[in-house]
Amino acid sequence: MENIKKRNTRLDRSFDKLRAREESGLAKKSNMNRQLRKILNNKLAVAGMIVFSIIILSAVFAPLICKYDPLMINLKEVLKAPSADHILGTDRVGRDIFSRIVFGGRVSILVGLGSALGAALVGVSIGCYAGYKGGAIDGIFLRLSEIFMAFPQIILVLLLVSILGQSLMNLIVIFVITGWGPMYRMARAKMLSLREEEYVQALKSFGLNTFTICYKHILPNALGPIMVNITLSTAMFILQEAALSFLGLGVPLNIATWGNILNAAQELRILQENWWMWLPVGIVISLFVLSVNFIGDGLRDSTDPSQQG
Amino acid sequence: MLSYAIRRMLILIPMLIVISFFIYSGLELMPGDAVSYMIDPEAAAEISPEKLDALRDSLGLNDPFVLRYVKWFGGVLKGNFGYSLSSGVPIRDIVFDRLPATLELSFIALILSTIFGSVLGFISAIRKGSIADNTLTIVGMLGVSVPQFVFGLVAILIFSLKLKWLPVGGRLMPEYVTYWDRFPHIIMPALVLAATMTAGVMRYSRSSMLDSMNKEYIKTARSKGLPEWRVNLVHGFRVALTPVIVLVGFRLPTLIGGAVVIEQIFQWPGIGNEFITAVRGQNFPLVMMIALFSVFAVLIASFLVDLFTAILDPRVKLG
Repeated sequence: MENIKKRNTRLDRSFDKLRAREESGLAKKSNMNRQLRKILNNKLAVAGMIVFSIIILSAVFAPLICKYDPLMINLKEVLKAPSADHILGTDRVGRDIFSRIVFGGRVSILVGLGSALGAALVGVSIGCYAGYKGGAIDGIFLRLSEIFMAFPQIILVLLLVSILGQSLMNLIVIFVITGWGPMYRMARAKMLSLREEEYVQALKSFGLNTFTICYKHILPNALGPIMVNITLSTAMFILQEAALSFLGLGVPLNIATWGNILNAAQELRILQENWWMWLPVGIVISLFVLSVNFIGDGLRDSTDPSQQG
Repeated sequence: MLSYAIRRMLILIPMLIVISFFIYSGLELMPGDAVSYMIDPEAAAEISPEKLDALRDSLGLNDPFVLRYVKWFGGVLKGNFGYSLSSGVPIRDIVFDRLPATLELSFIALILSTIFGSVLGFISAIRKGSIADNTLTIVGMLGVSVPQFVFGLVAILIFSLKLKWLPVGGRLMPEYVTYWDRFPHIIMPALVLAATMTAGVMRYSRSSMLDSMNKEYIKTARSKGLPEWRVNLVHGFRVALTPVIVLVGFRLPTLIGGAVVIEQIFQWPGIGNEFITAVRGQNFPLVMMIALFSVFAVLIASFLVDLFTAILDPRVKLG
C-alpha cells in the first residue's frame, strides 16, 4: 500500500487530473500548438517567461520608467542610500542606480542576445551546409572549430579583447568568434542524421539545388535544438559580459551595463558600506539569467522528448 | 589500444602547430618590435639603435615569416617563452611561479564539486519528482545563473567583512610556516569556485543516474531481492559514475583558465590573476604565452581523458 502511495508523483497526479477532465467531457480539443502547450505547462518556464518579460519591457521602456538620466552626474548627492527620491540610491558621482540598472539592461541584453544570435547565424549556416555536404569543407570547419574550442573560453575572450581593444561592437564580435563553435557542432550533428531521411532523398531526386534542400527543407527540422542553444548561450554571454565588465575589460566604462555597475564593488569599502551599489544589480543579473535558463530548459523539454527526465 | 593512442596523438600534433601558428601571428601583429620581448628590457635600454639593428639581423628578424615561426616554436618547445614586457622576467618563470597556486585552488574546488555534485545528483535521481529533487534542481539552476563574482562578493562581505572569520584574499604571508597557517585563505575561493561547478556536475550525475536506473541489470538486482540502498548505491551509482568522471576529466584543463575571475576577486596569486594583469597592461607576450600554455594543457588533458575512456570502455572508437 505504501509503495503505491510513494509512486504517486506529481506527473501521475497531473495525468489523473487530465483523465478526469477527459472523462467528464470537459477537455476540449485544443488547437493550440502542442509545443507551446507543453511549455506553458512547465511552471518554471512560465515563471521564467514572466520575469524575462518584465525585465525586457522595463529595458525597452526605460525612458518612461526612470526619473533620472543614467549618465547624469550630480555631485551634491553622492553615495546616497536608497530613499523615495532615488529608489536604489546613488553612486560615487551621484548617478541614480535604478536608472543605471534599467538602462544598463538595454546594453547587457543587447550584448547577450546579439552575440547569441550572431554566433547562431555563423555556426548554423556553416554547420548546415558543411554537415549536409560533408567532405573537405566539413573537415576544414570541424578542425577549425576544434581549434577555437581548445581554448578555455575566458582565456580566448580575454586574448581577443587584448588584440582587438575594448568597445561594445568588439565585444559582440569576440563573443561570436568564441561562440560559433558549439553552435556549428550542434547544427552539423543534427544535419548528419537528418540528411539520411527519405524526404531528402526525394528532394534530391527532384533535382533541387543543395542550398534549397539544406536551408529551406532540412533546417526548419533542426530549429528546436537551435532555439534551445540560442537561449542558453544568451544566458552565458550575459554572464560573461558581466564578468568582463566587472574586471574592467568588457564594455567601456562610460556606457552603463550591468557589469559596469558592478565594477564599483571591487573596492572593499563600497562592498561593505554601500550595498545598494552592487547587490541590486547582482540580483537583477541573476534573475534574468535564471529566467533565461528556465525558458531554455522548458524549450528543450518541449521540443526534444528524449531529453526529458 | 596502442594504435588508438598513437592515432589520437597524431591528431593532436597538427592542432598544436596551427594554434601556435595563430598565437605567433598574433605576437607578430602586436605593436612594438619583436626585439623588445626577445631580450631583457633592462638590457635593451642601454643598447644603441645601430646595435639593435645588428641584433635584429642576427636574430633573423628579416627572415621569412614561416622560418621565424619555426625558430620561435622550437624555442617554445625548449622552454624559451620570451620575456614579460612589464617586468622583464622570463615568462617561463612567471608561469611556473604562479602555477602551483592555481592548481591548488582548482584541485580542491574540483574534488569538492565532484563529491558534492555526484552525491546530490544521486539523491536527486533516486527521489525523482520529490520535493528534495525539485529543490535541488532549482538550487542547481541558481548555481549556474548567479554570476561567480557576485557570489564571491557576497561571501567576502559576509565572512570577511561582517563576521571577520576569514581573510579577504591573498595566499601567503611572510610569517606563515605550515600549510595550516595559510589554509584560511583558500577556504572561500575554493568553496565559491566549487559551488558554481557543483551545479553542472549535479545535473550530469542526475541524468546519468536516471539513465542507469532504467537498465536491465537494475531490474535484475531488484528481483534478486537486494535491499533498495544496495541496488541504488552498488549497482546503479557505480555505473552512473563513469560518465561523471569523464566530465570531471574534461574540466581539469579548463581549470587553469576557469578560475580567472575567482582569482581576481580573492587576489589569489595564480595564473588567472597574472593573465588579467597582463591583459590590462597590454603585456602581449605574456597574454599570448599564457593562452598558448592553457591550450597545451587542454589538448594534453583531453588526450589523456580520451585514452582513459578508451581503457574503461573498449567500445570507444576513434571518431
